[in-house]
Amino acid sequence: MTRSELDAALARLGLDVPEAERDGIAANAHYVEKMAQLVKKPRWVGAEPAHTVAFPEK
Amino acid sequence: MVPDFLTVAEAAKLIEKKELSPVELVESRLKRIEKLDDQLHSFIRVLPEAALAAARAAESEIAAGHYKGPMHGIPIGLKDIYETKGVPTTGHSKVMQDHVPAADAFSVTKLRDAGAVVMGKLATHEFAFGGPSFDLPWPPARNPWDTTCFTGGSSSGTGASVPAGLVLCGTGSDTGGSIRGPAAYCGLAGIKPSYGLISRAGILPLAFSLDHAGPMAWTAEDCAIMLQAMAGHDPADPASANHPIPDYRKALSGDVKGLRIGLIRHFYTTDNEANAATRDAIDAAAKKFEEMGASVREITLSPLAEWAACGVLIMMSEAYAIHESNLRTRFTDYGEIFRDRMALAGLWTGADYVQALRRRRELVDELDGAMAGLDLVMTAASPTEAPKIDEVPKFAIIDRPSLTMPFNVTGSPAMSVCCGFTETGLPLSFQIVGKRFADATVLRAADAYERATPWRSRRPSL
Repeated sequence: MTRSELDAALARLGLDVPEAERDGIAANAHYVEKMAQLVKKPRWVGAEPAHTVAFPEK
Repeated sequence: MVPDFLTVAEAAKLIEKKELSPVELVESRLKRIEKLDDQLHSFIRVLPEAALAAARAAESEIAAGHYKGPMHGIPIGLKDIYETKGVPTTGHSKVMQDHVPAADAFSVTKLRDAGAVVMGKLATHEFAFGGPSFDLPWPPARNPWDTTCFTGGSSSGTGASVPAGLVLCGTGSDTGGSIRGPAAYCGLAGIKPSYGLISRAGILPLAFSLDHAGPMAWTAEDCAIMLQAMAGHDPADPASANHPIPDYRKALSGDVKGLRIGLIRHFYTTDNEANAATRDAIDAAAKKFEEMGASVREITLSPLAEWAACGVLIMMSEAYAIHESNLRTRFTDYGEIFRDRMALAGLWTGADYVQALRRRRELVDELDGAMAGLDLVMTAASPTEAPKIDEVPKFAIIDRPSLTMPFNVTGSPAMSVCCGFTETGLPLSFQIVGKRFADATVLRAADAYERATPWRSRRPSL
């Protein structure tokens, strides 16, 4: 992710990130992209997510 | 004269026989905190008056014949994300430094009901995620084996205070390894129980679907005692399991004969390569289990990076949602590590999050399948001993795949167990993991290993 792409993304998120911290975030954004790729697998359209919570007992 | 170091089990035995006064025990810990915590920074807030009052009450109850069990009169610390009635609960953050809860967390109530004496609130990484940080209202905790070293996180204060004998045990929370990491680096025992076994109601969340509360103590036996007090169904936590609670301490037979253990070597030999000292210590631990009558065979799972990606994406996305409003309005009130990691989390999309949840289900099925013919699996808890505290990268959670995160993804009970020391005296550890709600088997194996090895006899010299 380039610095200008990061600036645009942070503006969309509404985060007022100090200038001094932006280059470091941009330099590590590739980890975010890699993780998003790693969880994408060819899977059946009906492959449901994990459901880890239960409805409250009332 | 109260010894500097006592396990919960040892102290409980003496207290029950009225050979140790809870008041004297608490006074001795307060003196130790005063003497040592300037070096360790394990406490955010010490509560001497409340602790002494609780100790006096415990002593009166026991004298009157109302002994409640092995937590009665035991000094404990609470990670400062566990809400405490009338006492600030800050998440170690400026953002919540004035937050005074109206009630105790469910698990804190259970610990108090069991007779535990709360000594104070312990350091954590900011909101159980951002650390070690030097720009928060309180300094980061230091490793008691070498105060220039990192405790691991996020249950850093518990990791520091228990080995140093400031408290006998304490609470942790674990969303990606925050019990097992500090337990590994600081050489204590820490179990992340099965998801849903301990209520999270009243505990500041990091990521709802991965958060686990749990005990940290010097031994597996002490973890079993503490888990007994903390576990139980709570309708206020939507993830709380209505599951029978066995007698965890009774399960500690000292015997592992017949247990079938799968060793996930590739996690720490290729996927996140451990140093030689760690590899050798885990190999020796596996051999010890075999000598004790368990069978150990190597198993292969999906690469660690896939497990870590699934867990980290879910964890950081859920954390971002929790903090989104404050991140927008008071970004720089958070410490730099927390806020910059959260800025990265904001880059994922809703679709990425759902794909991670779909991957999670596949990974849960994968581990369940791999464990079909096994009772336990073991692997590394950390690739190295504790690093220097000022050498931990800001984005440490994402730049190397976490060895602990897979078992948050699966909700399995997982424990760090000390298995030796480096030449410089820093603890080494392995991780042992059971099937969901087979927490007793994990504790049984860890306890048997501790009994068969010398590592529990060594404490930090401060």
